[in-house]
Amino acid sequence: MSVYKHDYRAYTGKVTPLWARVLVLARYGWMDAWSSKITVGLFTFSLLPLIVFMIGIYLANNPIARALIMKGGQEGLAINARYFMIVLQFQSWAALALTSWVAPRLITFDLADDALPILLSHPISRFGYVFGKFIALFASLSLVTWVPCLLLFAYQGYSSTQPWAAGNLRIAAGLVVGAVIWITFLSILGLALSSWVKWRVLATGIIFAAVFVPSGVGGIVSAILHTKWGSLLNLPVMMSLLWQRLLGAPDFFWTEATLPTSAIVAMLVLACAIFAAMLNARIRAREVVRG
Amino acid sequence: MGIIELNGLEVRLGGRTVLNGLTGELQGNAIGLLGPNGAGKSTLINTLLGFHQAIRGSARVFGLDTHHDRARIRQGIGYMPENDSFIGNMSGVRFVRYMAELAGLPPGEALERAHEALFYVGLGEVRYRKVNSYSLGMKQLVKLAQALAHGPKLLILDEPTNGLDPMARQRMIQVIKDIRKEGSIRLLISSHLLRDIDETCDEVLILKNGRIAALCNIEAERRSNRNFMELETVGATEKFSVSIRGLGCECACFPGGRIKLVMPDHVEARDLYVIASEQGVQIRRMNQRRDSLEDIFLRAMDSEMERPTYVSL
Repeated sequence: MSVYKHDYRAYTGKVTPLWARVLVLARYGWMDAWSSKITVGLFTFSLLPLIVFMIGIYLANNPIARALIMKGGQEGLAINARYFMIVLQFQSWAALALTSWVAPRLITFDLADDALPILLSHPISRFGYVFGKFIALFASLSLVTWVPCLLLFAYQGYSSTQPWAAGNLRIAAGLVVGAVIWITFLSILGLALSSWVKWRVLATGIIFAAVFVPSGVGGIVSAILHTKWGSLLNLPVMMSLLWQRLLGAPDFFWTEATLPTSAIVAMLVLACAIFAAMLNARIRAREVVRG
Repeated sequence: MGIIELNGLEVRLGGRTVLNGLTGELQGNAIGLLGPNGAGKSTLINTLLGFHQAIRGSARVFGLDTHHDRARIRQGIGYMPENDSFIGNMSGVRFVRYMAELAGLPPGEALERAHEALFYVGLGEVRYRKVNSYSLGMKQLVKLAQALAHGPKLLILDEPTNGLDPMARQRMIQVIKDIRKEGSIRLLISSHLLRDIDETCDEVLILKNGRIAALCNIEAERRSNRNFMELETVGATEKFSVSIRGLGCECACFPGGRIKLVMPDHVEARDLYVIASEQGVQIRRMNQRRDSLEDIFLRAMDSEMERPTYVSL
């Protein structure tokens, strides 16, 4: 490190390709996110249910252990689409908690000191900036959703005495697709809401509110108008229905609130479009005051 | 070819025309961008950076269109914004390294250049402190360091001495002079402080109400702009002024016997004393000076309509 060179000299070395600048944002975003002990704590906490689910798989596949602990009871421990849907649900709500903490860290530090003019004066577009932050958040959420879910799936495939994995590939595909849809949605939601709030704690609260307040409103709408369409505002219900269909699990939750898959997808796309518009309005080098 | 070319550039923001038909070519090593508040200086800089799109005309930097080639232009530009703009929870060196990596330097090179840039601007000893713990002057310097770290071809400084105390201002001016002297970077410095531009620039673009009021080489303008003389006289001032016009001077008379004149090179001060002596006019005060940037600026700001009616030329 040539800190003894106190004179200015022009840079003549190699330059990274333009597309790689997005990865710089992602890398710094990732480091910022994981430099917090709370992030590490949330991550650790989100792994606790997985240990329980892993023990469940162990018990289901080990007759001796099952005989000792479960007294031979097998029905409650069937490892099937329903079991993995419960895993996915647990991990998905852990992902929401992680989003509410990490997303504001990625955006609000830049907004608090108005860093966008400097950041965007570099060869990086507004889309590239958001995409870099998105990658950081998406990768962080992957660690608590589809990655551990797939590991559990692999463990079940390994532990099963029968060729289980090959016959249940739909579960694996459903886990990945369901988790990716959810964390993509969470990432866009988290970044969009964080970009509008400079105060990090408030942004955390707003992310939770954005998920649960519309659910309450949807419930009221459904109750007053005696319609099922109020559930389109209820994100937990919508996602559970979607996951259930993706994994091929039997109906066991919210059977009264059946919504067509196309309506759920349309609602998620609409919400993402609104969040993208929010990001487009906020992530700018210069604000133009009209009038 | 100039580094910046403006071809009828028109930019509208919020329904208001901020830049109105700017045309010109900026070629200097250090270009000053002058103008009163709201003249369009920052908007021009933002347009050059590709933040705003022209509704008519175009702007080119290094021959590249500021809208279509903005990524390539930004690759070669270092930008120091006017207001606070940094990531406060990062240390100085991490912030500068981050910006250098965004500009395209590999991580190792970026770290090395970040250290160098911080030492160069005088923040070497505080480079591990968080940026939000810096004083205002340090924050200005860290913005300069991040603009320099990737070795840009053009350095755009928007009000670099804004809010600095005299010592910090002097330090900033000295750093800018050093950069200019080093020679590998062209400078575009926006300021409303004439002294800053006077000390650092060789070319000046003066904006007024979104239009170009003047675009000139400061040194050439000074050379071409002759000797100014201010006289305070007692006696027959009108007759005296007619006589000195006879010598080839341009001259304006003001109430109270004050005369402002521009002297051609062949006329000297003693010629004025001779005429005054012949006509019994007393010269109580004589102030001789070369044209300053302030004169150039004021001339650019003064349209014909705004000239005082009592001045006779």
